[in-house]
Amino acid sequence: MTISGEFFAFMGLALVAIIGGVLLLNLNKVVHMVVALIFTFVSIAGIYILLSAEFVAAVQILIYSGAITIIMLFGIMLTKPYDDESESKGGKWKKILLFLGVIGFAFAVYVGIYNFPIEQVPSALHENNTMEIGKAIYTKFIIPFELVSVLLLAALVGAIILAKREDKEADKE
Amino acid sequence: MIQDMLQSSPGLGNFVIFFILGLVLLLIVLGFVTFSILAERKVMGYIQLRHGPNQVGGRWGLLQTVADVLKLLLKEDIIPKLADRPLFILAPIIAFAPSFMVLATIPFTENFQFADLNVGLLYYVAISGMTVFGVLLGGWASNNKYSLLGGARATAQMISYEIPLVMSVLGVILLSGSLNLNEIVEAQKNGWFILLQPIGFIVFFIASVAELSRTPFDLPESESELVAGYHTEYTGFRWAFFMLAEYVYLFAMSALITVLFLGGWMAPFGFLDFIPGSVWFSIKFFFVLFVYLWLRSTFPRMRADKLMEFAWKVLLPIALGNIFLTALIKSLFF
Repeated sequence: MTISGEFFAFMGLALVAIIGGVLLLNLNKVVHMVVALIFTFVSIAGIYILLSAEFVAAVQILIYSGAITIIMLFGIMLTKPYDDESESKGGKWKKILLFLGVIGFAFAVYVGIYNFPIEQVPSALHENNTMEIGKAIYTKFIIPFELVSVLLLAALVGAIILAKREDKEADKE
Repeated sequence: MIQDMLQSSPGLGNFVIFFILGLVLLLIVLGFVTFSILAERKVMGYIQLRHGPNQVGGRWGLLQTVADVLKLLLKEDIIPKLADRPLFILAPIIAFAPSFMVLATIPFTENFQFADLNVGLLYYVAISGMTVFGVLLGGWASNNKYSLLGGARATAQMISYEIPLVMSVLGVILLSGSLNLNEIVEAQKNGWFILLQPIGFIVFFIASVAELSRTPFDLPESESELVAGYHTEYTGFRWAFFMLAEYVYLFAMSALITVLFLGGWMAPFGFLDFIPGSVWFSIKFFFVLFVYLWLRSTFPRMRADKLMEFAWKVLLPIALGNIFLTALIKSLFF
């Protein structure tokens, strides 16, 4: 492997992503966890950019770190969760077994990924990313695309109906 | 020049050059912020029939903001005892960093641009959405109910107005066929998009005022109800960072409107081509900036309940209609 700017960028982003993930599991306050999650999402977007998938990267930031985490934060802040800081402490054996499990999983994933056959398909996707995605969606994948939009519309209508019903019940009481 | 450098092999030399370029832009932006605050106070002063700052730094009060900033930097840095310390410190940074990152993709002239991104417009929208976190976390970490309310208001407002903002730009994207800001400017050779997209422009402008949370949409920090909103507990340079982010966004948004709707660096008529692009860009840029200042001093604040209704029931349908209309026009006439 040659050391290039891409290598540095990937290492930095990957480190931030993993550290964010670990912090997400280990921090005590829920809001802190969400902040760790934001860092993970943003660095994953950076990795997409390294893979020259700019459109996906921008959408990742817009939707995952923008919309979804904001909704989570909002919910958490306005509901005041109880701070549960008790930790179950397992015995020595449990820890050893856990460690073995982690190593086994890492080994399995390593073997699986290392020998994974990836067919090299020549594609011009990286040249004009957005346009190519648009073309693919509106020609080859038009039916799945329409289905997804109908599904989302149904979800939207369902959400509105649920919200309205709550309103009515509150009025009755 | 930057394009070549981005593709060259990495090294300490390149790093230093990038660092210095970034620093120069930062200094330019800081200079802009200093004088735009002064300009704001002066414009508001004259509109309200008074003089504005006129003591520090000569008749025009040229050093007023410099003195204010110095005062801010020398102030005691207070972190409330019950505040969430790490987030309280992190929040201003999260709020400011995206505002500066956004500037990377804006083409000031043909040659003066830092990153020629294919998804430039989307990049702007996505990155600028990150500032909301800084505001929300700052409001939460202060452990103050006014701050939390201000943060919650800011988030609700920015998210709601981001949707009409993006929807109104879709017309421009339809006509130019690209998300790349350079290509959008090139597409305006025969007519600025403000002429082809008047509805889109108006919706975009209103939504952008709300995104910048300036009067009439300054509910997140309305001093008469929420003391100062999300930055009530902030002092000294941390508070300065929030303010800085706000004014850097003002810079970025004025530049973005210039690029999207006013033809960027291009001259309005062919025979005026001999004037360099940077001059045209700054003329348009300062005009947009002046309109923002003008709006601020002439409108009262909106009511909180009207605010959301306006975004969802007025701006969004108009923006959607504009997309429909634009698609129709494009398929009929272009």
